[in-house]
Amino acid sequence: MLGYIAKRFTYMIPTLILTSMLVFFLIELPPGDYFESYVNELIAAGETIDPKQIEFLRTEYGFDRPVWERYWIWATGMLVGDFGYSFEYELPVREVIGDRLIFTIIVTFFTIIFTWLIAFPIGIYSATHQYSWGDYGLTFLGLLGLATPNFLLALIMMYLANQWFGTAIGGLMDPEFVDKPFSFAKFLSVMEHLWIPVIVIGTSGTAAMIRRVRANLLDELRKPYVTTARAKGVPEFKGLMKYPFRMSLNFFIADIGSVLPQVISGAEIVAIVLSLETTGPLLIQALQSQDMYLAGSFLMLLAFLTVIGVLISDIALGFLDPRIRLQGGVSR
Amino acid sequence: MRGMLKTTLSMVLTVWMSGISFAGEAPMIADKVAKGELPPLEERLPKEPMIVDYAAENKTEGKYGGDMRILMGKAKDTRQMAVYSYARLVGFGPDFILGPDIAKSFDVKEGREFTFTLREGHRWSDGHLLTTEDFRYFWEDMVKHPELGRKGVPTDMLVEGEEPTFEVIDELTFKYTWSKPNPAFLPALAGASPLYIYRPAHYMKQFHTKYTDADKLEEMAAEAEAKDWTALHTRKQRQRRAENPDLPTLQAWWNRTPPPSTRFVFERNPFYHRVDPNGNQLPYIDNVIMNIVSKDVIPAKAGTGETDLQARYLRFDHIPFLKQGEASGKFRTLLWNLGRGSQVALFPNLNASDPVWRDLNRDVRFRRALSLAINRDEINESIYFGLAQPSANTVLPSSKFHRDEYTTAWTSHDTKKANALLDDMGLDKRDEDGTRLLPNGARLEITVESAGESTEETDVLELISAHVKDIGVKMFVRASQRDIFRRRANSGETVMSVFNGLDNGVPSADMSPQELAPTAQPQLQWPQWGQYNETGGKAGTKVDMESAETQLALYNQWMIAPDMEKKTEIWHEMLGNYTDQVFSIGTVNNSRQPVVISAELRNVPEEATYSWEPTSYFGAYRPDTFWFDR
Repeated sequence: MLGYIAKRFTYMIPTLILTSMLVFFLIELPPGDYFESYVNELIAAGETIDPKQIEFLRTEYGFDRPVWERYWIWATGMLVGDFGYSFEYELPVREVIGDRLIFTIIVTFFTIIFTWLIAFPIGIYSATHQYSWGDYGLTFLGLLGLATPNFLLALIMMYLANQWFGTAIGGLMDPEFVDKPFSFAKFLSVMEHLWIPVIVIGTSGTAAMIRRVRANLLDELRKPYVTTARAKGVPEFKGLMKYPFRMSLNFFIADIGSVLPQVISGAEIVAIVLSLETTGPLLIQALQSQDMYLAGSFLMLLAFLTVIGVLISDIALGFLDPRIRLQGGVSR
Repeated sequence: MRGMLKTTLSMVLTVWMSGISFAGEAPMIADKVAKGELPPLEERLPKEPMIVDYAAENKTEGKYGGDMRILMGKAKDTRQMAVYSYARLVGFGPDFILGPDIAKSFDVKEGREFTFTLREGHRWSDGHLLTTEDFRYFWEDMVKHPELGRKGVPTDMLVEGEEPTFEVIDELTFKYTWSKPNPAFLPALAGASPLYIYRPAHYMKQFHTKYTDADKLEEMAAEAEAKDWTALHTRKQRQRRAENPDLPTLQAWWNRTPPPSTRFVFERNPFYHRVDPNGNQLPYIDNVIMNIVSKDVIPAKAGTGETDLQARYLRFDHIPFLKQGEASGKFRTLLWNLGRGSQVALFPNLNASDPVWRDLNRDVRFRRALSLAINRDEINESIYFGLAQPSANTVLPSSKFHRDEYTTAWTSHDTKKANALLDDMGLDKRDEDGTRLLPNGARLEITVESAGESTEETDVLELISAHVKDIGVKMFVRASQRDIFRRRANSGETVMSVFNGLDNGVPSADMSPQELAPTAQPQLQWPQWGQYNETGGKAGTKVDMESAETQLALYNQWMIAPDMEKKTEIWHEMLGNYTDQVFSIGTVNNSRQPVVISAELRNVPEEATYSWEPTSYFGAYRPDTFWFDR
């Protein structure tokens, strides 16, 4: 097992190097650079700027150097924890991202819990009552959640929350609590705002989760050991939870790999519509304004988390389900 | 003025000495004075503060206190605070006339010798005196410093490449001299994004090698993750982006929140130099609270009263929604005039790379025909609820330069005349569907490119393409993205683009008429010529069209014009040419900008012009005099 893990770690290195090149290349691809976008933005607002100033900034930030040189500085910087400098914020990238990370984790954590709470019971019910009215009805509801455009649902709920409960539009708390130390009042304010993004983002994930729980569980339910258990008089609920349900969870463990990056990227579009102080809007904005080090470092962080997440779920699967063989001739 | 000043001063003193606390300063400050944290008012105000003329500006004396909430879409927008509070060395008032502000007075000789006198006892927000040293620091220790000054002398301080000589006369008086007139200097100082020719020297010196040990600076730079001391210095001295809470300011409010944050609190500057006619120190409002939210929710937030002063990110099409929320959100929606020369304007690219199109665009008959074909009344009625005014791309009716002939030049919606003009050009052959054919046999199909940011443009263009169909022209719209849009226009790939009209629709004679002549690359009808003049011939191409040359020659004459009369005359000549030659095709102007203000906010003008320059958005209307009637 240890050998297996070590080997997986060594695979990660070239993967990440390749990803970093790809990321840098893609960000460089559109014509122009941050400063050009900046000037154009100023012009659009009717402002003017001294062209000299821009030329100066370009050399100051090393934009007169060749691409590979800039890539090298950026990539080697990341190894020692220097993620570069955000032009948009005029701050080191680390500070810009760090600030928003905690809220992103809170939102995602609650969303995932919400999804599970809804999806598991419905999924189990649908599988055990296959083709019943309940199965169709609940699945329909789930699919409805998937089909409704998230941003629209977000807008409607935000508006209704404002009209009915007087909740401030957008954000994760009322403005007066921003940057204040944590207190009970602040906690309540966060809770008051949190349920909208949790429901909106949650509903879209629920349908997929329901279908997967249902499909996996159905596979198991048809297996002979379930029939045997029934024949031997194991109570229906115990007979369901003890073996078939546990067996059907493999997909769920495999999913952890994708959960990690999701935790920090959040649901971008919804976050923009709801004006959440999460990292998603930050990434989109950085890409739009070609704030390349912010965008690049962010994407690298996502890539890194994906790689780690996949590793974790592989290892967890290996432990949880001894039937899964470790490939590559490594013995346990 | 002087008499009034004396009365005011003595009044302030009497009030102070008799211990009555009704006027003079905010309770928030008075507390601090009582505790000994701040010196008393008379030591905080300059000997001769700037007295805002309430009678002329139609303002009422206010009450102190309250927090004003504003919304911004990006962390970068902290810059807007320096635009709104608008304390400038010299600045525009609501009448768009340039006057002294931070400077007590200024004197211009022959347009090339500028002498400024500061106010005695004027202090930075941390209590240090503002003196000529702060100006010397900028000129000698920053601009002329071999390392810090790498970006060179600011463009507005150069006359044909020549720098000024800077002289300190005494503690409060200093002078810049050029050998030729520099008409750009004063407007640049008064700009919404002004030329800052001063820095708080007492604060900045700790970041400068001349005054601080190099090793220590290196340590500080490393700690702040700056490349070297110059980068650190640059970062610490930013006047516009209010991101360094330690940097003293002269504005009415200063930022107390270190970034990154989504909520910036700007606290009143206890040393601010303006007072109301009764000697009460401004601003009235204690704090300005800037909440950074996603720009897409700003209209929704404004519509529920979550802001006290908002125009940025609100558009014409939000008006019905805003009006609807007024009662429950306890706010009012004012409709200010937009200061643009035209809400939406077409720019035929005179530098188009395709020779057929270039010749066509350069033919004045073609431009006039297009302009004549547009039914501006219909655009006004169906898109602007009839609130705007059909016009060529020119100055607004409220401008001192307004003449009917500019507004109505080639805007009469005369399809017959337009058709005749095109026939006259030899474009009389038509395809089966009535579309005219170009000399090379292709159909006359214009692709208008847009920056893809506003639905307003698309709506107007849809109407225009229906209008020009009547003169046998097909028009398509191609939405792209801001950077690409600019790039294509500049390289000549774009045949015609759509954008806002003139930025400054209410100019005065001492403001530069540069928008009317090929002077800068962003000008969409002649980007190449503009670039040529901007770079002094290093890039772009030389103007090779007579009517554009005329404009450029006039612009150069304006630069050296000795007096206002001559400047006014040149302005008129340029406006006349510009509209007659239809260098850009205007649609409607005098459209409305919704301005959402709290129902309790006072001293905000009901009718005003909203523009970047000269009003600096709210700046010229002095937000420091706004107050809450609670």
